[in-house]
Amino acid sequence: MTALLFLLLAPLFGGSVKWLKARLTHRQGASPLLEYRNLAKLLSKAWVRPGLSTPVSLLGPTLALLGALAAALFLPLLPGLSFAGDFLVALYLLNLGRFFQMLAALDTGSAFGAQGSYREGLVTILAEPGTLMALGAAALAGEGLGLAGLPVLGPENALVLLLVLASLAVALLAEGARMPVDDPTTHLELTMVHEAQLLDHGGPLLALYELAAAVKMLFYAGLMALLLPGPKVLVFMGVVLAWVLVLGYLETFGVKLRYLRLPDFLSYNTLFGVLALLGAIWKF
Amino acid sequence: MSEGVMVSALALVGASLVGLRGWDSRGYTWLLGLAGVGFLWAGEAVWFGEGGAAGVFLLLLGLLTLALASYLPEYLGHHPKEAPVYAFLVPLFLLAMVGVAQAPPGLPFLFFWEGMALLGYLLVALEGPKAQAGARAFFLASRLSGAGLYLAFLGQGHLGPDWIWAGLLVGFGVKAALFPFHLWLPRAHPVAISPVSALLSGAMTKLGLYGLFQAQTWFGPPPVWVGFALVLLGLFGAVYALVRGLAEEDLKGALAYSSVENLGLMLAALGGYFLTGKALFLGAFFLHQVGHALFKGLLFLGSGALSERQLSRLGGLWHRMPLLGGLVLLGMAVGAGLPPGAVFAAEWVLYQGFLFAPGLLPLGVGALALVGALALYFYVRLFGLAFLGAPRGEVALHLGPGMRFGLLVLAVFLVGLSLFPQQFLRPLGQGLYPSWIPWGLLALALGLYRWLDRRPSRSYGTWDCGFQPLTSRMQPNALGFSEPALRLFPFLRLRVGERPELDEPLERVYQGVGEGFGWATRLVQALQSGSLHFYLLLQLLTLVVVMGVVLL
Repeated sequence: MTALLFLLLAPLFGGSVKWLKARLTHRQGASPLLEYRNLAKLLSKAWVRPGLSTPVSLLGPTLALLGALAAALFLPLLPGLSFAGDFLVALYLLNLGRFFQMLAALDTGSAFGAQGSYREGLVTILAEPGTLMALGAAALAGEGLGLAGLPVLGPENALVLLLVLASLAVALLAEGARMPVDDPTTHLELTMVHEAQLLDHGGPLLALYELAAAVKMLFYAGLMALLLPGPKVLVFMGVVLAWVLVLGYLETFGVKLRYLRLPDFLSYNTLFGVLALLGAIWKF
Repeated sequence: MSEGVMVSALALVGASLVGLRGWDSRGYTWLLGLAGVGFLWAGEAVWFGEGGAAGVFLLLLGLLTLALASYLPEYLGHHPKEAPVYAFLVPLFLLAMVGVAQAPPGLPFLFFWEGMALLGYLLVALEGPKAQAGARAFFLASRLSGAGLYLAFLGQGHLGPDWIWAGLLVGFGVKAALFPFHLWLPRAHPVAISPVSALLSGAMTKLGLYGLFQAQTWFGPPPVWVGFALVLLGLFGAVYALVRGLAEEDLKGALAYSSVENLGLMLAALGGYFLTGKALFLGAFFLHQVGHALFKGLLFLGSGALSERQLSRLGGLWHRMPLLGGLVLLGMAVGAGLPPGAVFAAEWVLYQGFLFAPGLLPLGVGALALVGALALYFYVRLFGLAFLGAPRGEVALHLGPGMRFGLLVLAVFLVGLSLFPQQFLRPLGQGLYPSWIPWGLLALALGLYRWLDRRPSRSYGTWDCGFQPLTSRMQPNALGFSEPALRLFPFLRLRVGERPELDEPLERVYQGVGEGFGWATRLVQALQSGSLHFYLLLQLLTLVVVMGVVLL
């Protein structure tokens, strides 16, 4: 259920950020709904098969999207699957998509694809431990190690959950390939992470990748929504709206970090994760 | 000992004799296959009967033997000169390993243990002069391991549990590549021929784990520090091995580092079990063993089909042999800990074990996540550089029907274990995530893949920015690909340049220990001067000291 919601919402999310960025720079901006037509156009196009490509080129977009959607399946925003340890499966399903996406980037034998691929690997190394520790801390503070049993922000667990939320926010920027980590609008190969991997993928393959990236971001927004009090779906919409504003602001007035400075930024994620976990263990 | 093991032992002796007498590949295949089936039968009875650790070992050994039965004769056919020796030794090596798993503690156990070490050494050393360093490392490690075990077995009843367990930790830890003692593994395993690497890495290292696990029934429960040492060293070793392995040029060397990583996780699981007694840790421990044996066996045997193992000279292999590419991709995806692989299932259980554990143990989750992310990077590098992209050099591929069948056997079992891990964990009374999820995901992926494949497309070259056409030199090489990640770990002191270099910090420690030992022996040597007067003086001094001690 949640997966379907995400699939429907993903283009609108991306489109809204683009529209907001246009407005902030005093441009008219295309309607946020244009993304749907854009996707439909891409999906109906023929695609270019690079001479060197293997079936891995197709597995990349397929599993990137399906992995993200399957991960969304576990979010109890709407009725869905739930069992102890489901958040671990969800994060590793994202990794499944990432693995094949990185391989697909190497598949065409282009230098840019490989650059994007190892940069993505670096971001994962930096972001993953903190995120998992933060989610583990939230699960420990809740009941039963499942997403359905996550606690809601309240006075008794405020510190731990705020740390978890901060860690998830950093993770969203890293996973979604957004501003301080990656620049989604750049055409400079030297700075790209996510886009560099997609260079040789067009038409329906590109559409699947775009959808997957947006679904991934919505997944992290959904995780944050679970930790906030209130009716789930409404809170989720609120979180997504907040992210549209944050991303629009960040990508208009912020700058992308130098690639070698990424460890400095992403180490906050690890720090928040460790602190949250310590907080959950010692119950402060 | 059960009938299955008896039958297998006889079959192995027979195979060994067939190998010695001459080269008869058909009879050899049948005998090895029979041995494999016997192990599986016996292991299945033990594991699903009483849930013994020996059962797991028999199962994984049986699977490897089955694969080798079809793989080995054809592989050796490509190396006719050394073939009879290997054909003679490999069954004996298998026999020694089963002996270790079946022998009662005490002298019989040590007999088989040393036999296994000796045969393993021969199998590595036989590869020729270029394997010398690796064989020497293997030999030294075996001696260290033996010393630890003698301390434990002979000291039983005289020494306290702390000393006994310290001996066991060294004795079995060396074999299981526990962190500071792991250096020998990436040196010894890659230099052996591929089937032997698969056996060494897939099966022999597991006997160290088996020994550590069984030791609690032989020597009583371990002291608390043993559990902590296993968790800490296991997790640290896993991270260290992956980082170090990221810079490995040799395909099999990298696979050996990945073995150190996987063994580190298993040791951490065992340590967690010693500390908390929770079945979750045991589930991770046993499931990971079988999963690792299967996927690492698949990868090592797969690499046996290549004539070239330097990553920077491989590339584009998929186009030449899609079957091998697909099987290796399967093995590597499982090895990277991706769902629904067996290794992921084991890690998933381990994560929960750590989260439920008391004290600071939940912090282990961070280490596990780091291992997961590094493993992703590690396997993308291996597969992407070797099998995808443009070819970088001339590589001969030989993968006949027999070798193919051996790989397929392992792949089928690996897929089976990945899709039904809960069947395997049943003796521990442990559940897993709902297994229809991966099925559903795979079915959907297949559907979407076919839809994409049928969309209209046209073939065109890779985009080259409109400059000169792309060449294979433009792809990053093996070290360039991993350089960004290696920068995060400055203790390795990576120097990239014309001649890239990588420090192995531990190497110096061992060198230092060796030099210190030499210094100490020279000191003692000074006593042996050959002068009678000096000896008389020493005797007198000894007498005085002894008298003094007695009188005071």
